[in-house]
Amino acid sequence: MNVFEKMLSIDRRWIFLAIGIAVIVPFFFPLGLPVVVTPPVESLYDAVDEIHPNDAPLLLSIDYAPATLPELEPMAMAILRHAFEKDVNVVVMTLHPAGYGLAERAMLDAAEEMGQEYGTDYCFLGFQPGTSAVILGMGVNIATVFPEDAYGTPLAEIPMMEGVRNYDDIPLVISLAGWSAAEAWVYYAYQPFGQAVGAGVTAVMATDFYPYLSSNQLVGLLGGMRGAAEYEMKIDNPDKGVQGMDSQSIIHIMIIILIVAGNIAYFGARRRKKLEEAEAA
Amino acid sequence: MGTIIWTTIGAILTLSVYSFLYKDNPFYKFAEHLVVGISAGYYLVIYYYNFIDPNVVTPVFQLRLGDQAIGFGSGAWWLALIPGLLGLLLYTRFFPKVAWVARWSLGIYVGGYAGLGLSPVMQARVIEQIGANALPLTSVTNVLIVVGLLGTLAYFFFSMKHKGILGVFARTGIVFLMVGFGASFGYTVMSRISLLIGRVSFLLHDWLHLV
Amino acid sequence: MKRTWLTFLTAVLMTVLMTVAAVAQEAAPVVDADTPLEDVPLDTVAPAAPGALTARDYLDSNDAGDKIELDWELSPDDGEGSCDVAAYHVWRSRSASSPGEIVAEVSSGQTHYLDQDLEPGAEYFYSVTAFDGTNESAPVVCAPVAGRVNLFQWSRISILALMIVFFGLVLVFTKLAERGDDLFVRRIPGLNAIEEAVGRATEMGRPVLYVPGIGEIDNIMTIASLTILSHVAKITARYETPLIVPTARAVVMSAAEEVVKQAYTEVGQPDAYNPDNIRYLSDAQFAFAGAVNGIMLREKPAANLYMGAFWAESLLLAETGFEAGAIQVAGTAMVSQLPFFVTACDFTLMGEELYAASAYLSREPKLLGGLKGSDWMKVVTIALMALGAVLNFMGFETFVNWFQTQ
Repeated sequence: MNVFEKMLSIDRRWIFLAIGIAVIVPFFFPLGLPVVVTPPVESLYDAVDEIHPNDAPLLLSIDYAPATLPELEPMAMAILRHAFEKDVNVVVMTLHPAGYGLAERAMLDAAEEMGQEYGTDYCFLGFQPGTSAVILGMGVNIATVFPEDAYGTPLAEIPMMEGVRNYDDIPLVISLAGWSAAEAWVYYAYQPFGQAVGAGVTAVMATDFYPYLSSNQLVGLLGGMRGAAEYEMKIDNPDKGVQGMDSQSIIHIMIIILIVAGNIAYFGARRRKKLEEAEAA
Repeated sequence: MGTIIWTTIGAILTLSVYSFLYKDNPFYKFAEHLVVGISAGYYLVIYYYNFIDPNVVTPVFQLRLGDQAIGFGSGAWWLALIPGLLGLLLYTRFFPKVAWVARWSLGIYVGGYAGLGLSPVMQARVIEQIGANALPLTSVTNVLIVVGLLGTLAYFFFSMKHKGILGVFARTGIVFLMVGFGASFGYTVMSRISLLIGRVSFLLHDWLHLV
Repeated sequence: MKRTWLTFLTAVLMTVLMTVAAVAQEAAPVVDADTPLEDVPLDTVAPAAPGALTARDYLDSNDAGDKIELDWELSPDDGEGSCDVAAYHVWRSRSASSPGEIVAEVSSGQTHYLDQDLEPGAEYFYSVTAFDGTNESAPVVCAPVAGRVNLFQWSRISILALMIVFFGLVLVFTKLAERGDDLFVRRIPGLNAIEEAVGRATEMGRPVLYVPGIGEIDNIMTIASLTILSHVAKITARYETPLIVPTARAVVMSAAEEVVKQAYTEVGQPDAYNPDNIRYLSDAQFAFAGAVNGIMLREKPAANLYMGAFWAESLLLAETGFEAGAIQVAGTAMVSQLPFFVTACDFTLMGEELYAASAYLSREPKLLGGLKGSDWMKVVTIALMALGAVLNFMGFETFVNWFQTQ
């Protein structure tokens, strides 16, 4: 077995171990690599920033499940902090059954940190199944889809919901999702009602959403933990997103090296085999 | 104190799942089964209290919807009852002799959702995109978008053989597709690493308080 | 006619009544008890009423009949005269006999208000008063008005037009296929790859593994996969090569059994069919992937075919297969999984190619009609985009705007 073949047949557990170490080390010795804010993040930030304080609310649909938490929760926290900082009212809801507790947690953490009050500054509608039907129904009347908030208070009795009937009274919807919910908001809120929609999605899904940006079907986009990190930089409040970027960058460099090495080994092994075959012949 | 117990349980489960990277073992299996079982129970409760209770049970059994009591006489209760009964029909699947009845409910469900989706999806994915991509070839970006789009559509055109000009376009399309796949592969790697970073952050920060 | 008079009389009556009310109010002005009287010169004069008020149904094609638009002329005291109009009050009522309630306060200088969330088709009575912070002017009233529901949203005619074109194409091609017309579909290169892979397995005397994905039976990818499975089963039956089909769904397993048995019978090899090779493994995604990987390592199939709906298990399967040295052909319309199959397999049927392969093999009119219809829809799309680009370049933007429905 020559060096190339050895490289190709390396036990993958060594690679797992190397990646594990490369992720852990920057937590103890942060490099502080710069995070540059890209235009899709910039425009989502601007859209939130333009909402009038203490007026028509931002609707934040926290549609993620635990499996995509590390990528999407930092986005939720950054957006909530930004909105609360600006005194923008926020309505939180979820389209994913497993998102219920996660949405509530992010909302309460951010509200406590920023000194916001339930009912006047923010409220939580909870979960309704049926994605497309829910989004379409809210375009007509939110109270028919969510007659009460998550804690059983009728919407009419929540002070900040006064005068909020449907999308006409909501300047911006942001969906944070690791599945097709973010797309559903484009289909069923933007297309029929012209509702401005922004999205925060996992990096896996990000490529699918770029076409909606160029056609203005989305006002802005956060892609993966990197998108969260950029938003954190915009609000000058670096947290888990920015913290993860050092590990992320190191791993990416490592993977590029592995891909190059793998290719060299593959072509090297192939060339050697051909030479051996030629010699044998 | 409570927090420490729960984070420790979380940490043990995280480590159990990662132990799969070394090899399959009972710890991993335990964690996997626990997730399946707990999520089934959790979903049941969430669905019941957020959906079945306010949308079916409450209006049909004269409790309250919002603060407004809906009685059998008000005419609204059967609007909740019919879908409720159609939903129950889905359970006929468990009885092979009458399993076909489930198709009624399924038919209404599939038909309804297809109808809801048809127009918005056509609008979002085709019509708006026609408008957004009718680009004059006045910049390098526009040329790239138009060539990529034409090439990809040509590749997925099945009514003619890929020869001549169509063949040229189709081959260009493949190049664009591969570049696209490369980009999404890269993004996927990024996603997966983010998940690992999230877990490491949980272990080091929330559990061990090391950083 | 009678009604117009009635309305007019009511309006006059209301004006008189409200003037009386205004005068009465003027006589007893309400002053905040805490304000020292000598500091505030009392304003006891109401501003002049605003000029002519018109109310009409909101003329927007997107309107569900729940909006009414109001326009009035400025009060003579707004900006000039006594110059003390602070706001206009918009009053709405369901009956002519009462002014109803204030639904909006519009700041001075404005002469327009859009009233929303009304009941479509119901008649509403509107009046507007000028308000100086203390005193309300006499109201100006207008004829009752009702919102009308627009049944058709003209701004979205492009959606209807393209849907008619698309469904028209699908229906026409389906009919042609049913009539037995020979509709040309090019041979998908992936099918050759499948045949080569099966051939290679036969040469090596090892089995073929066919994974129909983990989608349910109602998933269109699973259905397309079963058509391709039938084709593969015919080849393995002829070559007498064992065909292993692991499944993750009970219903898919029974469907796969039927398909394979049928294929073996059709090529005259019913005895070669081995029901033990069509297996149900597990509904749980990763347990299924683990079990299939086990088959790959133990039974060493020389050809692995993955056709259908795959999620995160795609790379786990394809990577193990690659390491085991099998020829691998994949096919799926799950865009997010395509990159993994493309990197780890020898050939991949991408997206629509899976359906095209299934239509090519089965010649089923519905599948053919759908495929041909969407093919020609692509041509229509390209033509529209090209036309739009040219017109845009020449400065005619109307055509492209027609497609921007929001």
